[in-house]
Amino acid sequence: MIGLASAENTPRPVTLLLILVIIALVSLPFVGVNPYILHLGFLTFLYVSLSSAWNILGGFAGQVSFGYSAFFGLGAYATGILWNAGVNPYLTLPVGALLALAFSLLVGYPCFRLSGPYFAIATIGIGEAMRVIMLNLGDITGGASGLTMPTTGGFSKTPSYLSALLLMIAVLLLVNYIRNSRIGLALLAIKEDQDAAEALGVPTIRYKLLAHGLGAIIVGIAGGLYAQYMFYIEPNNVFGFNLSISLLLMPVIGGLATLWGPVLGAIVFVVIQDTLMASFPHLHLLTYGLLLVVIVLFEPDGLMGLFGRLARFLRSRYAEGQARAPSGEQSL
Amino acid sequence: MTDLLSVTVSGLLLAGLYATMSYGLTMIYGVMKIINLSQAGTFMLAAYVAFTLFTYLGLDPMLSLVIIVPAFFLFGMLLQRLFVSRVPLANTPTLPSLLLLFGIWLVLQNLAYMIWTGDDRSILTSYTYSTINFLGLQLSFTRVMVFLIGLLALFALQAFLTRTYTGKAIRALTQNRPACMLVGIDVDRIAMLAFGIGVAFDALAGTLMSLLYAFTPAFGNTFMLKAFVIIVLGGLQNYYGVAIGALVLALVESWAVMFMPASLQPAIAYTLLVIVLVLMPRGITGLLEGRRTV
Repeated sequence: MIGLASAENTPRPVTLLLILVIIALVSLPFVGVNPYILHLGFLTFLYVSLSSAWNILGGFAGQVSFGYSAFFGLGAYATGILWNAGVNPYLTLPVGALLALAFSLLVGYPCFRLSGPYFAIATIGIGEAMRVIMLNLGDITGGASGLTMPTTGGFSKTPSYLSALLLMIAVLLLVNYIRNSRIGLALLAIKEDQDAAEALGVPTIRYKLLAHGLGAIIVGIAGGLYAQYMFYIEPNNVFGFNLSISLLLMPVIGGLATLWGPVLGAIVFVVIQDTLMASFPHLHLLTYGLLLVVIVLFEPDGLMGLFGRLARFLRSRYAEGQARAPSGEQSL
Repeated sequence: MTDLLSVTVSGLLLAGLYATMSYGLTMIYGVMKIINLSQAGTFMLAAYVAFTLFTYLGLDPMLSLVIIVPAFFLFGMLLQRLFVSRVPLANTPTLPSLLLLFGIWLVLQNLAYMIWTGDDRSILTSYTYSTINFLGLQLSFTRVMVFLIGLLALFALQAFLTRTYTGKAIRALTQNRPACMLVGIDVDRIAMLAFGIGVAFDALAGTLMSLLYAFTPAFGNTFMLKAFVIIVLGGLQNYYGVAIGALVLALVESWAVMFMPASLQPAIAYTLLVIVLVLMPRGITGLLEGRRTV
C-alpha cells in the first residue's frame, strides 16, 4: 500500500496487478454475477471518483470545500433535463461537466481570495443557496417532487457499472498525473504556505481555479451518471448538504493528498453505509463523525497514515528481530 | 404602510434572537480564533432537551432555561477540555479545528436521530398562538418574550464582560493572547470558560428557537450560517458589531419577504454570507471605524 502511495514511478509488478484488477472488474458483469454486486460496484466507483475529485483541491491544495454537491446537482440536472428532451444520455455528460466547470470558475474567482477556513464557510453558503434556489425553480427542476427520467433503455446495470468504472480509472490516472507534475507541487505549496508560494511565483489563484475546475468536471460527470442510474433526481438529494459532507469525509478519512487515500476512504464509506444503512440509518454518519474527530486528533493523515505507521512498526520489529537473532544464538 | 411597519417590527423582534444566537460564536472566535461549526448541533440539542422536558415533565421551555443553560455551560467546558484544547491554535482559524468541530456536529446530529428519530417536532404551549396588541399591531406573544429574554441575556453578558475578572480576561484574550500570558492570566482556564459560556449562549438561543420553529436533528444549519453572516458583518469579534449585524440581517430578511417568495428566504442569508465575506471581510464596524476594536 505504502509502495503504491509513495512511488514516484509505479513499479512494474504493481502496474501489472492493477491491470489484472481492472480486467477482473470489467469482466464481472459478463460472468453473470448478482446484480447487487454490480450495484455496490457502481456506487464504489462513483464514490471513489467523487472522493478523488474532492482530494485534488481539498487534499493537495488544502482548500476545504463544503459545496461540491452544487457540481453534482448541476451534472445530474443537465442529464435529467436533456434526456427528458430526447438527447442521448451519454451526450449529456459533457454538458453537465461544462456547466459544473463554469459554476466552479464563477464561485472560485471571488472566493479564492479568502483564506482557507473562510473559503470553507463561504462554500457552505454557496452549496445551500444552490439547493434553495433549485428547489424554487419548480418549472425546471420539478421542485421538491423531483424529476423522473425515461426508463425505456431497460434496467440493466451493466452500462452504468462500466461507465462508472471508466470514470474512476480516468480520475485515478488524472490524480496520478497531477501528483507527479508541476501542478501537484504548486498545489502542495499552496497548502503549506499560500503567501510564500505566491512570493515564489506560483500563481496561486490560477492553480486553485484549475484544481477546483478539474474537481467540478469529475463531480459533474458523476452527477450525470447518477441520474442515468437512478432515473430520478431531486434537489434536496443531488444538491444536498449531506452529499457535500460525504464527499469531504471520504478523502479526509482515507488520507488527504495521496492517490490511494480517497479510494480507501470511499470503499470504507460504501462498506459501512451498506452494512449499517438498512438496520441503523444514521449510525454510518455517526461512525464517520467519530472517525473524523479521532483522525483530526490522532492521525491527520487518515487511514493511509495509520497504515504507514503500522508498516513502519512492523518493519522495525522485523529489523529488530533480524538484529537480535544472531546475538541470541551467541548467548546460548 | 402598516405592512411595512409590521414587517419592520417583526424584523426587530427577530434581531433579538439573531443577536442571541451569534454571541456564542463571536465569543469562541474571539478567545480561541476558532469557528465553532458544532454550534448547529448545540441549537438542535438544546431544542430537543427543551422538547423532552416539556413533553415528559410539562416544564415550560422558558422555565427550563434554568436547567438547560447551566447544563450546556458544563457540556461546553467538557467539549473544550476533551477535544478543542487538543488542536493547535493560531491567529486565524485552522482547518483541523474546523474539521474537528464539524465532526462533533455530525456526531451530535446523528445521536439525535437515534434518540429522537427524524420526525418533525415542535413545542406547542398554551400561549403559542396568543398575541398582544402593541401600537395597533398584533404581535406574537412568543416572539416578544423571545426578544425580551434575548435582551436580558445581552445585558447580563455586557455586565459580565465589563464587571468581572473572568469577563475582562475574556476581552483581553480576544485582543492579545501573548500579552495575557505575560501578565499571568490562566489562558487555558479562560478559554475553557469562554467555550462553556459560548455553548451556553447557543443553548439559550436553541431553546428560544424551539418555541418558534419546528425542528428535526438536521435543524440549526441555517441558523449557524446566519450567525456566521452576522458576526462577519459585525467584524468577527466585536460584541456591538454583532448587534448591528443581527439587526441588518433580520431587517433585510423581513423586508425581502415583501418582494419575493418566502421559500426563497433562506437563500438571502447564504448569498449575503458569500458577498459579505468577499467584499467586506472586516464587517460593517470595520467600514465605520476603519480600525477594529473590541
